[in-house]
Amino acid sequence: MKKSIIIFSIAILSSACNNFDEDININPNAPSQASGTQLIANAMTSLPGLSSTTSGEFMSQYLSETQYVNASLYPQSSTSFYWLYQGPLMNLEAVLESDDLSGNEGPVANQLAVAKILKSYYMWHTTDRWGDVPYTEALQGADNFTPAYDTQESIYTNLFAVLKEAKDQVVPGTISNDIIYNGDMDKWVKLGNTIRMLMALRLSEVNPTLGQQEFTAAMQDGVLASNDDNLVFKHLQDGNFQNYWYGQIDLQGREWWALSTTLVNKMKPYADPRLPIYGNPNRTDGEYTGLVFGDTEDYDTEKYSLLGSAIHEQDSPVYLVTYAQTLFAMAEAAKIGWVTGGDAEAENYYNLAIENSMNQWGADISTLASFMAQPDIAYNPNTAVEQIATQRWIHLFMHGYEGWAEYRRTGFPDNMVSPGGADVPNRQIYIEAEQFNNTVNYNEAVQRQFGGTESLYGKVWWDVN
Amino acid sequence: MKQSFTRMILLLAVFFALGEVMAQGSRVSGKVSTQSEGSPLPGVSVLVQGTSNGTVTDLDGNYSLDTGEGKVLVFSYLGYVTETIEISNRSQINITMEEDISEMGEFVVTALGITRDEKSIGYATQQVDGENLTYAKEQNVLGSLAGKVAGVQVEGASGASMGGTQKIKIRGVNSISGASQPLIVIDGTPISNSNFSGDDGTDYGNLGQDVNAEDIETINVLKGPAASALYGIRGQYGVVMITTKKGKKGSDVQVQLNSSVSVESVFNLMPYQNQYGGGSSQTWRTLPNGDKYVDMQVDESWGPKMDGTLVRHVQSFYPQDPEYGQLAPFVAHPDNIKDYYETGSTVNNGVTITGGGGNSNYRISLNDTRIQGVEPNTMLKRNNVGVSLGVDMTSKLRISSNINYAMNSGRRPGQGSEDGSRYLGQWFQRSLDMERLKNYKYDDGSFFHWNLRRPSSSTGELASFSPLYWANPYFIANENYSEDNRDRLFGDVGLTYQVLPGLKVSGFVRTDTYTQNIDSRAAFGGRGVPGYSIGKYQNREMNYELLAQYSKTWEAFSLNANLGSNFYDRNYTYLSMATVGGLSSPGFYNINGSIDRPSTTNYELNKQIKSAYGMVSLGYKGTYFLDASLRNDNSSTLPEANNSYWYPSISGSFVFSELTDWKVLSLGKLRMSYAQAGSDLSPYGTTSFYNVGTVYTGENGPVNTLAVPDNLNNPNLEPSFAHSYEAGFDLNFFEGRLGVAFTYYQQINKNQILNLDLSGASGYGSATINAGEIRNKGYEMAINGTAIKNSKLTWDIAFNISRNRNEVVELYPGIDVYQYGSTTYSSTTSYLNSYEGKPFGSLVGQAYQRDEATGKILLGGNNIPLYTDATYDFGTVLPDFNGGLQNVVRVGKFEISAMIDFQVGGQFFSRSKMLAVRTGLDPLTVETNDKGFNVRDDVASGGGVRVEGISSETGEEVIAYVNPQTYYGTVGRRIYEDWLYDASYVRFKEFRIGYNFTKDVLGNFPVENINVAIMGKNLGMIFQNAPKGINPAEISVGSQSIGWYESGQLPSVRSLGFNLNVTF
Repeated sequence: MKKSIIIFSIAILSSACNNFDEDININPNAPSQASGTQLIANAMTSLPGLSSTTSGEFMSQYLSETQYVNASLYPQSSTSFYWLYQGPLMNLEAVLESDDLSGNEGPVANQLAVAKILKSYYMWHTTDRWGDVPYTEALQGADNFTPAYDTQESIYTNLFAVLKEAKDQVVPGTISNDIIYNGDMDKWVKLGNTIRMLMALRLSEVNPTLGQQEFTAAMQDGVLASNDDNLVFKHLQDGNFQNYWYGQIDLQGREWWALSTTLVNKMKPYADPRLPIYGNPNRTDGEYTGLVFGDTEDYDTEKYSLLGSAIHEQDSPVYLVTYAQTLFAMAEAAKIGWVTGGDAEAENYYNLAIENSMNQWGADISTLASFMAQPDIAYNPNTAVEQIATQRWIHLFMHGYEGWAEYRRTGFPDNMVSPGGADVPNRQIYIEAEQFNNTVNYNEAVQRQFGGTESLYGKVWWDVN
Repeated sequence: MKQSFTRMILLLAVFFALGEVMAQGSRVSGKVSTQSEGSPLPGVSVLVQGTSNGTVTDLDGNYSLDTGEGKVLVFSYLGYVTETIEISNRSQINITMEEDISEMGEFVVTALGITRDEKSIGYATQQVDGENLTYAKEQNVLGSLAGKVAGVQVEGASGASMGGTQKIKIRGVNSISGASQPLIVIDGTPISNSNFSGDDGTDYGNLGQDVNAEDIETINVLKGPAASALYGIRGQYGVVMITTKKGKKGSDVQVQLNSSVSVESVFNLMPYQNQYGGGSSQTWRTLPNGDKYVDMQVDESWGPKMDGTLVRHVQSFYPQDPEYGQLAPFVAHPDNIKDYYETGSTVNNGVTITGGGGNSNYRISLNDTRIQGVEPNTMLKRNNVGVSLGVDMTSKLRISSNINYAMNSGRRPGQGSEDGSRYLGQWFQRSLDMERLKNYKYDDGSFFHWNLRRPSSSTGELASFSPLYWANPYFIANENYSEDNRDRLFGDVGLTYQVLPGLKVSGFVRTDTYTQNIDSRAAFGGRGVPGYSIGKYQNREMNYELLAQYSKTWEAFSLNANLGSNFYDRNYTYLSMATVGGLSSPGFYNINGSIDRPSTTNYELNKQIKSAYGMVSLGYKGTYFLDASLRNDNSSTLPEANNSYWYPSISGSFVFSELTDWKVLSLGKLRMSYAQAGSDLSPYGTTSFYNVGTVYTGENGPVNTLAVPDNLNNPNLEPSFAHSYEAGFDLNFFEGRLGVAFTYYQQINKNQILNLDLSGASGYGSATINAGEIRNKGYEMAINGTAIKNSKLTWDIAFNISRNRNEVVELYPGIDVYQYGSTTYSSTTSYLNSYEGKPFGSLVGQAYQRDEATGKILLGGNNIPLYTDATYDFGTVLPDFNGGLQNVVRVGKFEISAMIDFQVGGQFFSRSKMLAVRTGLDPLTVETNDKGFNVRDDVASGGGVRVEGISSETGEEVIAYVNPQTYYGTVGRRIYEDWLYDASYVRFKEFRIGYNFTKDVLGNFPVENINVAIMGKNLGMIFQNAPKGINPAEISVGSQSIGWYESGQLPSVRSLGFNLNVTF
């Protein structure tokens, strides 16, 4: 008996064999290496997501709902920022943290510069929507599962520095695998500077000194100089990379969005050549008719101008940072004295901005001169700030979050409505999962910014009006 | 690996040699057979009285023994009366042994297929006879375990799914990740019970259903780690052990035919209102000529009153329709959803042939099942072939094999709120005529749909005939169907060698190999772009097993020892493809027809586990038993440094009835056990890799993209461990007239391998980590009795009940919540979360905001209730009690059986109910309010939903009346609190009346036996707290391991049938 127990144990022990083929647990279905530009390219494919969403259109009141009216009534619901971190930001971080980038895809310094510019752009977008968000402790994977929230002020300051660093490190040579600029580093540098300049303008109310300083520096470094320099995501006639609105309207048959009265009232009285692009004539009498934003009674698909056909083609592009937007910024800067030239220069930028906006949208510019000559449209030193802001808001059509940010900063256009008594929100609410997964930091951020309770109406740092 | 096997065999050989105890003296040999059948009895202990000298009979019942000075031989065998025979100088002694009635039926099949006397086992097992599982012919045999085994919870799928997912949970949820599916073992071969279904869509069911119910002899459920310890990591959530029927050596050929036919029909449908029809406003829309028309653009029933007004219906806008341009009355179609379902049918035919020669036995079974589903154009066809063989090559060497082949092909309905026809009860018009929709195709090949864009306000004609949000349900059923088929082979081939009396060694090769094909199509003429997808999934699981079994009896002592090793090798591959951007030509469903670059995935998975295990069981005087086992598993999916782990188990039983002479107590046993179980993870979780993105081919050529995955893998994982304790007793009175089994258990699962949800700001959505602790404790009780037993009538009752309590003791530092899942609809998300210090699985979502002082609902400015953010904890979804009750009455040759199962507690969200209310389908939306007006009447003239609460603006109490469309637009969309239901139920699950024609009646008719029966399954809900039409026993979440929200579940199906069984 004893013997058998001993042998029994030996038998078990001896078969404790834990040698397997070395690569048995290496995933054969996915690469274990990624190059810098492959990761950057993947981050680029998320760019349309910054604009192609209904909630952005509702924040800026570009589009009204023609059916199931609810999301445009500004319900107090949360919006997740996780996809930004897990998607594009993490891919860019992986490039920035990599120690084996290959020069075969273009100078490593340039790959890093592009990653920095894109990361800054995504972070800027993120903080403008929610306020304080994780930044310095974010994207560290196993090293920090619960990143603290940075203040928006510190994020801005840091991004200014990162963008300067990016510009300074660019060396001659193109990078490969570039969806946006086909490797043209000059355009990337201009984009980085433009982002810096537009960010600086955001500080016009909260910290004009810093704003002016960064604005002028960025402008001097060279900003977008034509529509060819635009940050635009070109969709393809390919189901894998098609326009969001095409999928919604054409494939799913959702005629759910009409131009808002807010928008039509700023365009139709002036026969704005962009209006036939932005919307279709209504199907009842062929007029351009806006649907009152947030109307829960008289919504319809037949009586109002639905979203313009050119905007929901399968390959309709998404415009993100544009030359016209750059010109509007410079017009405003001239008007408020951040840059020299005063009203004359402001007017020049303003006219150029509108013209380039028309060109960008493919509007019929044969009537441009008469359009510009109308009293409300022609540059007027007394109302220039409003004119610039309103025209910029019209230009930013479909880039809802940007149009909304500029509205929050400037208060224009002046005809935004409050559906069911709910004003245009000042920010978006953090996703509930943060309360579960990042409790301490979430609570601290909400306490710091809003005294403990968050809502759509807490204000982000730069929004002081 | 090969090396280790060689080593194992050598060691085993040495071990065997120990049994070679030779003594000198006179030799006696002979044969032991059973008194009842005369068949040989192997394994009988033959002992020279007063010595430790003895042997055990071989497979043919033969023994040979040197008796030395001995005068008397003692033959003993569990379950038989011990015989004491004087040798009287004989050299040949053949004896027969009589079965010990008091110990009959107490043998159970335990882990690794080892048959043991139940009283020697120190842990709870519960065995169900195959007959008991086929009473009602459940399509997925695992579903027939519901209510029959204490501690086992079965969450089923509707019969409309034809073999949909049956989820089994044994003793609660033992993983914070919710995973809890037991291992399924058939004749010693572990088989896959995986599932190709998603959370919604087509429910293909769990693969365990490939077992032919007709082949099952018994199912034994090994509930805790002590019982399943010998299955190692694969048995961590318990084991369902299936033993199939076998032929008997030396028996005549017996042929059995079994035929059954049943019809299936839907029941327990949700109620709907029949006063208001399609539309979003009670005001009629009109055409340019002034004709009123039904608003075909709206998929809700908030439209005008169905009062017979003459209007243009949707078909009147189709120029090719005979009703084109005509007006017809606007009336209700009260049965328009019920009318969609058809009467289903199941036809089952089977043949089995059993028999045996002098040294062989065999059983062959063939089965053919054809089902027509209750949803149009759905079906399932299944064929099973089973062969089981055993041949004694020599008196010591036996070869045996079980081979099962299953073939399935199905066309099944979709489930989930947006899938297939499931929108009917959620987004629909009460004014639609289902009979009209049935003619979904015009003679010219064009399709008829009901949900279209409105006609032009200038011409009054439709501009587009493409369906808007929903296609005609018959178009979906007949054109957009999905098909699946699976060929599967599983079974074993084994050799058993009787090395010495009492010692046998066996080797088995076991396989489970299948190929699953799934395709689905989106036809031209429906919503969106046409498309086609197809996937081929192949799995091969091999188990190579060596086992030595030794048993010996000395006087009062008995010893059983087992030593074994197992090599598990799994290879799984798939290739799945889908068209992108459309199809090139109608009716041509092929990836080759993809307009854009199709999306494709090919995948390979390899996993190995190497194991060794041993078990020793000691018995003393048939009264005291002690078991100990130890298993070592090496899993290829863990990091090399942590991939070998051990776990022990120990159990004991004390048969105290052996110590008393109290005749009333036939058996009294106490048992206790402790065991550890471990677990590993899926392959490829320990190394990092990148996801492959789609290639962007722009004007400058292709750009390829790679991405960091959302889950963070972990190179430092360790296996997780479970500790379980169990104690209980078994009592048996009046020779089996009354039996009671009771077990209390506690299981602690620690350091689990979890995909922990992270703040996405960390760059990852989740991380694979070791963390957490979850505890389950509870009790189970089974009572079996014979209430009446006389020559004319017997009445057997079996009842079981179990209670489980669960607590998540610990999660991960800094993270208080584990998110099991979430579901979002209309921008409203609800979660199933687990919190530290609470039971697993809290339903979390948006609740009413309430006044702190009074608890009354807070109302906003427009008197619409305000709601919280989606963090309100409504409590756990886990039930408090589960159980079942079965009655079998035999009167003469009639046998009547009926079974109910029940659940107390548990809860779920019902999205079906919520949407039916929100879209104006539900009777709630036409209620009469306290002023005596229909809530849809104008609020100013007395209508409206009465809302009571406290104004958030003034703090004053408010009683107001609100337009129901507005009210339910918020409540039926944002406030899940109202759509939360208790999951308690009592279900009339099975019923059967059978009559047996035996030989004495059949006389010269060349048949042995004929049995005819009428049977019914899922006959109705005797009680449910959830609203009518929502079945809490069939919560639809496809393959998810936890049922926590109901969303477009398939209707309940009742089945009534007739069965004929003929034995030749």
